[in-house]
Amino acid sequence: MLKYRMTSSLDGYMNRVTTVITGDGRTIVGLLKGFDQLINIILEDAHERVYSETAGVETVPLGLYIIRGDNVAIVGEVDEEIDKRIDLDNVKASPLAPIWIPG
Amino acid sequence: MATEKKEAPVLNATVEEPLDLLRLSLEERVYVKMRSDRELRGRLHAFDQHLNMVLSNVEEVVTTREVDEESYEEVYRQTKRTVPMLFVRGDAVILVSPPIRAS
Amino acid sequence: MLFFSFFKSLVGKDVVVELKNDLSICGTLHSVDQYLNMKLSDITVSDPDRFPHMLSVKNCFIRGSVVRYVQLPSDQVDTQLLSDSCRRELTEAKTKQ
Repeated sequence: MLKYRMTSSLDGYMNRVTTVITGDGRTIVGLLKGFDQLINIILEDAHERVYSETAGVETVPLGLYIIRGDNVAIVGEVDEEIDKRIDLDNVKASPLAPIWIPG
Repeated sequence: MATEKKEAPVLNATVEEPLDLLRLSLEERVYVKMRSDRELRGRLHAFDQHLNMVLSNVEEVVTTREVDEESYEEVYRQTKRTVPMLFVRGDAVILVSPPIRAS
Repeated sequence: MLFFSFFKSLVGKDVVVELKNDLSICGTLHSVDQYLNMKLSDITVSDPDRFPHMLSVKNCFIRGSVVRYVQLPSDQVDTQLLSDSCRRELTEAKTKQ
């Protein structure tokens, strides 16, 4: 395809640890193994980070995940050095609200 | 030039469809009602068929509803802020109103 | 194409993208596509205490459909040029009808 498409720039995130924020407000972290122009995403060794106001972040292992592009809000390239320094057990915050606007 | 002259009245003055009204509001202050109880007032510089817009000198008013813990009365609180230049995504727009002329 | 071209002219400038879940991300506009998906670099979240979810993210891709607002650097926007392009696009659309 000759037409310039920006999603090709997710190339730079390939095989990097990435954070995907989904439309329903979940945070999933994993190794980006693939994507397409619909922003369908393949994450290897994916984990969900479940945020709570009353307890630290709970990490739920998910394994190999395919996330449908429609449900992808943000794809972020994780700086692993910074990520290692974050003490998730002591991070308390409300879960992100869903992106979809209520009726 | 001749063809341009013939088309000019159609293109610039008449209101045949809803968006024509918006064209006449270019460079004027408009009122925009948004989803999730947000209202904007600002000068309209551009829009497209999705109602994506660029506004300047924007005042945003966000209305939140809170229930008083003791009396259980509903309290509406308005939060205002100003933004010098703002792109507004059309899918969150409910209505756009042309400038209110001074009577 | 109006806003696609407009955002392309703002590549390299600092913007604040406000999402429909109230998360505000400021960063440098790296690229944009026809769906107004955007890539931002060197990002910070405006309210990190409320939104610590992206603390270790420095570069990100934002799907256009999740954007509510983009706050723009007003000194970098030529409003005259913008409204002229808008009128031109409207005229072109009418002539095509």
